[in-house]
Amino acid sequence: MTASARILDSLRRARRPMRLVGASGQLGYGVPTPAFEAALARRPDLIGADMGSIDIGPTYLGKGEMATAPAATRRDLRKLLHGARGLNVPLVIGSAGSAGAAPHLDATLAIVREIARSDGLHFRLGVIRSDLPRSLLTQAVLDGRVRGIDDMPALTEDDVRDAAHIVGQMGMGPFRRALAAGVDVIVAGRACDTAIFASLPTMLDFPTGLAVHMAKIIECASLCCVPGGRDSILAELDDDGFVLESMNPQRRATPTSVAAHSLYEQADPFTVYEPEGRLDLSAAEYVAVDERRTRVSGARWETSADPCVKIEGACRIGERAVLLAGAADPRFIAGHREILAAVSEVVRELVCEDQPQDYTLRFRVYGVDGVRMAVPEHEAPPGEVFVMGECIAPTAERAAEVVRTCKQYLLHHGYPGRLSTAGNLAFPFTPPEVSLGAAYRFSVYHLLHVADPDALFPLEIEAV
Amino acid sequence: MRLSEIAQVIRSKNAGPRRLTLDVMFATDADYQRVAQSPALGREQIAALYRVAREDVTVIPYPVGRAIKIVLARRVMAGDPGDVDVYGAQQHAPLLGVEI
Repeated sequence: MTASARILDSLRRARRPMRLVGASGQLGYGVPTPAFEAALARRPDLIGADMGSIDIGPTYLGKGEMATAPAATRRDLRKLLHGARGLNVPLVIGSAGSAGAAPHLDATLAIVREIARSDGLHFRLGVIRSDLPRSLLTQAVLDGRVRGIDDMPALTEDDVRDAAHIVGQMGMGPFRRALAAGVDVIVAGRACDTAIFASLPTMLDFPTGLAVHMAKIIECASLCCVPGGRDSILAELDDDGFVLESMNPQRRATPTSVAAHSLYEQADPFTVYEPEGRLDLSAAEYVAVDERRTRVSGARWETSADPCVKIEGACRIGERAVLLAGAADPRFIAGHREILAAVSEVVRELVCEDQPQDYTLRFRVYGVDGVRMAVPEHEAPPGEVFVMGECIAPTAERAAEVVRTCKQYLLHHGYPGRLSTAGNLAFPFTPPEVSLGAAYRFSVYHLLHVADPDALFPLEIEAV
Repeated sequence: MRLSEIAQVIRSKNAGPRRLTLDVMFATDADYQRVAQSPALGREQIAALYRVAREDVTVIPYPVGRAIKIVLARRVMAGDPGDVDVYGAQQHAPLLGVEI
């Protein structure tokens, strides 16, 4: 009997509160073992982990690469696989490989299969893909069924064609389908983090609002605790609420710390939108069970009459190269805006002699305004700055040409009042020009209105 | 009194790639009430501090979490060329010196 069939059968025969483990924050950065083993000792009914996010920027989605290091990713997956197989409970992983598109999912599956082979593990694996067909999206654009999120400009057919990868965030339905089919492990592409944990409880008639609220919190492991951290967290869910407990005894889930988790990375602490509906937290209550545990209740769920899938995509915008250099001359620092503008113009005249200007060149001046979006006026100038020149050009060769030319002219630029005529820059090493590979931006961040969202996310089951 | 002297947490992070959210959190209900009732974190004040339009600022009191949430539209989408902070995690400094 598969793990999902066993748990479903057991809880249907004898209904009782469910225990669910949020094993880790974003998987692949390390799962602290003591807390994870404490979680296993509590005999959970499901172990879940979120493995990706849009919050990490567009490059991973665009390039098809994971954010996490291969060795750490393998270590985490191995730990979770052994933990779940040892207890014979379902392991559910969502947003595989940092961004959930085909290359990320396939790379994650390769690691999972390799671990199984090395360690002699055998299990039924459900794979749920999240890549959206371009033809379907183009038709949706033409039908007017695609809407930008947070003032994102309208999606065009060119955007759909040019994106390197486009994924939809699957909700609970695809996970429920896999669990119902009988699986031991689910590895899913891009998914709502809540669906990883809420799907199984909703198959057992636990209230959807409570299940989704619980899921929203435990997908971040012990971040909702004080002090917050990535240790595994245990939720015990019944029909009226759920109790949260960190599996690290040093971390306490207090009413305020848990309530405050609704603030994290959210624009609205009272509402969470899922493909199938809306979670309303305006009446949520947080009560201490003891010093370390909090019971949460009061979340309400409203099913939507107009289901929407959040879609994400990234497109390549060129190749990036940077120039890395410091400066410690007060006159250079004081005049840096004029100097950088002048050097940009000199570079343009040189490299565009026989070609159009096909690149952008920007400078960030750390110590002045390299980090802050809003800088106070009249700040005292720093004693030194770090200048990063960044070129994005059609090819790596062109970007490198621009930053190398820039280096030479910025190093020797004779600005009014200059005393340090031997050179304007301090290089941390040479070469100070570094090629960073392809540059991407998010080109798709929209809602797709679709009658049957679950149909977008196909399930494949394999015996590993 | 400066906000940094009364708040327990002052932080910023993206809420999706097009929005920046700032959370100010307090250790006691009294501290929360004092700041929530002060005009210091109103939309105008935040708009001026962050050089954005008032219409692009939302301020949300969250008493159950003893926190005030501020949401701003990002001028540059996360990861776009010219972005200075892909995660949006270091934009809280303007709030530190706000006088309550």
